[in-house]
Amino acid sequence: MFLTETEIVAMDCTDVVRQLWDYLDGELTDESMDAIRGHLAQCRQCYPQFDFERTFLEAVAATRREHPAPNMVRRKVLAKLRKAGLEV
Amino acid sequence: MDGTLTAGESHRIDSRRFEVEALPWLDDVYRFALSMTRDESDADDVVQETFLRAYRSWHTFEPGSECRKWLFTICRNVFLRLRERERRRVDYGGDDAQLEALASGQEIVGSIGEHTDILSHVDLAPALERAIGELPEVFRSAVVLVDVEGMAYNEAASVLGVPVGTIRSRLFRGRRLLQESLVMFARDAGLATRAACEV
Ligand SMILES: [Zn+2]
Repeated sequence: MFLTETEIVAMDCTDVVRQLWDYLDGELTDESMDAIRGHLAQCRQCYPQFDFERTFLEAVAATRREHPAPNMVRRKVLAKLRKAGLEV
Repeated sequence: MDGTLTAGESHRIDSRRFEVEALPWLDDVYRFALSMTRDESDADDVVQETFLRAYRSWHTFEPGSECRKWLFTICRNVFLRLRERERRRVDYGGDDAQLEALASGQEIVGSIGEHTDILSHVDLAPALERAIGELPEVFRSAVVLVDVEGMAYNEAASVLGVPVGTIRSRLFRGRRLLQESLVMFARDAGLATRAACEV
């Protein structure tokens, strides 16, 4: 699918905003991804909303600190598995 | 030698495969368990039970498929069983069906673009971690799997045993709740005016 510049801008802002999360998550078809990318590049109304959602999702992803299982848990798991027959 | 393995040999190969493919995910499984239980001692129990079940059903694991997703699915089921037991003892609070209805009715349109500055102002990690912990469990598990663990919607759907559309609505509602918490946090911290908080 090929959209002209006028068609990209003419895309309904409401539709773009409604699909922002799907877009950021990469969960749309290639055509929709392209259409929204094109719209965002040119629409001053939608861009701040997009920027906010992107920053927000980056902040949520950043909470995934390496949180190793305590050694005690690791030892208990291994002990259970050995008892069940695992050879480690 | 006719190429067939003795029982002992195939057992050793299975052990080795489990050690190499499943055990390295122990930290991830623990993190996922903790996000659901929010209690270290419960997470400890859930993780032990998860690996024990995984080992016992290792023959059902399809080589080459995603082991983390497989382990998370088992972990989720172990957690649900634990919660079911808890529920019988005390009324756990939180009506999943009611929350689900809330999620599906949620419209995503809303403008909070003006809050971009809040996100760049401070280190939000502690506030966000707390807010994630306080989300109702149905929303929390979707947010954790997709936003924190980086799973695609269909992978998260498979772990939670729900349709992709359900993941999408739970995720979107969970994210909105998190954003509301952050705006409140920013207001309490004096980072945003009351007017700007009325989203
Ligand atoms: Zn627009």
